[in-house]
Amino acid sequence: MRLDDRLLDFFNRPLMCIIAAADETRRPSAGRGIGFRLLDDRETIDVIFSGWQWPRLETCIRQTARLAATFVSPPDYVSFQLKGSATMRDTDAPDLAHADRFMTAATNELESLGVPRYLIAPWLTPREARVARLAISEIYVQTPGPLAGMVAGAWSR
Amino acid sequence: MNLRLSDLSACFEGVIPSIIATASADGMPNISYLSHVVRVDDDHVALSNQFFAKTAANVRANPKVTLILVDGFTGDQFLLDIAFVRSVDAGPLFDKIARQLKASSAQVGMSEIMRLKSADIFRVHGIEKVPSPVDAAPAAGGRPPISLPALASAVKAIERQAEADEIIDNLLCGVEGVLGYGNALVLIQDNHRGCLVTTGSIGYPRSGLGSEVAGSEGMIGAAATSGQTIKVSDMSRVRRFGEAIGLEADGEEDATRSIPFPQLPTAMSQIAVPMLAHGIVTGVLFIESEERLAFREEDEAALEILAGQAAAALRASEREAAKAEPGQPPALVRPATAGREIRVVHHRFDDSIFIDGTYIVKGVAGTLLRLMLEWHLNEGRSEFTNREMRLAAGARMPEIKDNLETRLLLLRRRLEEKQAPIRLVRVVRGRVRLEAEGSLVLEAVANDHPQGSPAV
Repeated sequence: MRLDDRLLDFFNRPLMCIIAAADETRRPSAGRGIGFRLLDDRETIDVIFSGWQWPRLETCIRQTARLAATFVSPPDYVSFQLKGSATMRDTDAPDLAHADRFMTAATNELESLGVPRYLIAPWLTPREARVARLAISEIYVQTPGPLAGMVAGAWSR
Repeated sequence: MNLRLSDLSACFEGVIPSIIATASADGMPNISYLSHVVRVDDDHVALSNQFFAKTAANVRANPKVTLILVDGFTGDQFLLDIAFVRSVDAGPLFDKIARQLKASSAQVGMSEIMRLKSADIFRVHGIEKVPSPVDAAPAAGGRPPISLPALASAVKAIERQAEADEIIDNLLCGVEGVLGYGNALVLIQDNHRGCLVTTGSIGYPRSGLGSEVAGSEGMIGAAATSGQTIKVSDMSRVRRFGEAIGLEADGEEDATRSIPFPQLPTAMSQIAVPMLAHGIVTGVLFIESEERLAFREEDEAALEILAGQAAAALRASEREAAKAEPGQPPALVRPATAGREIRVVHHRFDDSIFIDGTYIVKGVAGTLLRLMLEWHLNEGRSEFTNREMRLAAGARMPEIKDNLETRLLLLRRRLEEKQAPIRLVRVVRGRVRLEAEGSLVLEAVANDHPQGSPAV
């Protein structure tokens, strides 16, 4: 699946991110993303998370090589979930820069909505940042409402 | 497990969305936000999972689920290892979850979208705290615990009162004195009009006495309908319920016959506590606070005690007043008061009353004033018994037998607040006197669709 223009616009907004993977026994694990990088092919996204805060995520991804990531725009709850196969790759300096921008934008956005900064601080840390490369095979609308669960994006050629 | 669900009470306030991760039968993960997680007991939680078919399908194919809960005070996160047990779509637990969801979603204008169809019950197998990169945030609810002796005194103070105004004033006094909340309202049920009417108020620039909330509107209506306490603990992203309120001028009040509902624009928490006596909701105690998570479990319990005591006292007051009422109306005939002419207009369609063009009140209270004015003009007397009012109004408004006192109280307070040239004075228990600053002219208007200010 490819990210269409509408989704690319969405990814330019301040966002929050939550991610899940499952282990070999199908037990899911969850955590928060701290950033992302869209690749030029529009079919791949690197999702960054704290391995220190969410150690089970990396274990699960290495075991089963699959990942789900939901991105939400805090003011209006507009959300999309991306799913597909995933592999872990080494973290590099640009990843940390992306994470820093993502966390700053998310914190400012939430604060502008009245969430105190001290409340947000425990959720977002770049400590032991890890990167999962997700090959997107499914995209779903996750915004609360009648379209929730609908397929979004464009089929790859 | 070291941590217990009861240690996570601030995670269940619905302030910060929870997160649910599931996996399908073939192991594909799925992740979404959850509007509500409800603690059922120390081993179970219930989830309102009304949107996401995929999550529901996964849970049934693979009961293993992971939750992230967030403490609304500190932001601390907890990972819960849980397993699906069963689904409920009826019964008390379902009703509790549905009420909480309705109350909070109505606040954000999503009540049509967020309609609960079923709730899923899960057994909790493990809880672990997620490491935090920052030191502990400000201590949870840094207020001291409620003083039980102070609460007991407040309960006694309410219990000692015999009159509706004293009961309501003492309830509000207890809310402020024992719990420290400075913005509170008491709304009394008006079954005749299907609404709740503000009859007591503290802390607002405009008292809002006489303002109404429709019987099913927002959290006040939901508390009255369900008999359950409903609260919102963080309104930072919340739209205020009710009409555009608070800024309307008196002229608007005269044109619309609707009194602006009091508003605390900076409110972060709200709670609506039903006033229950013998299983019947007689009104709602509504409180606002500028603090997030202002209403802890113990605050909620204390408010329920005070509201229940006030409801019982109001009920007793009505009964005592009915018993104590003098049987015969006073025979004294007074000459018509001299002075300027006071024009009173009564609109039959909603029993609204205007005095010299100023809107005073409507509904049962309006009917009572009309009755007294008619008796005054026809019989020349100025004192009236509650009993005769009950008899005269009871045929059309049968519920008046249970709430005449609070209606008279509302009428008296509105007359005072509007500085009307007519006042209502309690003579003895069960008898009131009408005092006017001039001669009265009563005009009945039968229009059913008033446009703007009434014709006088």
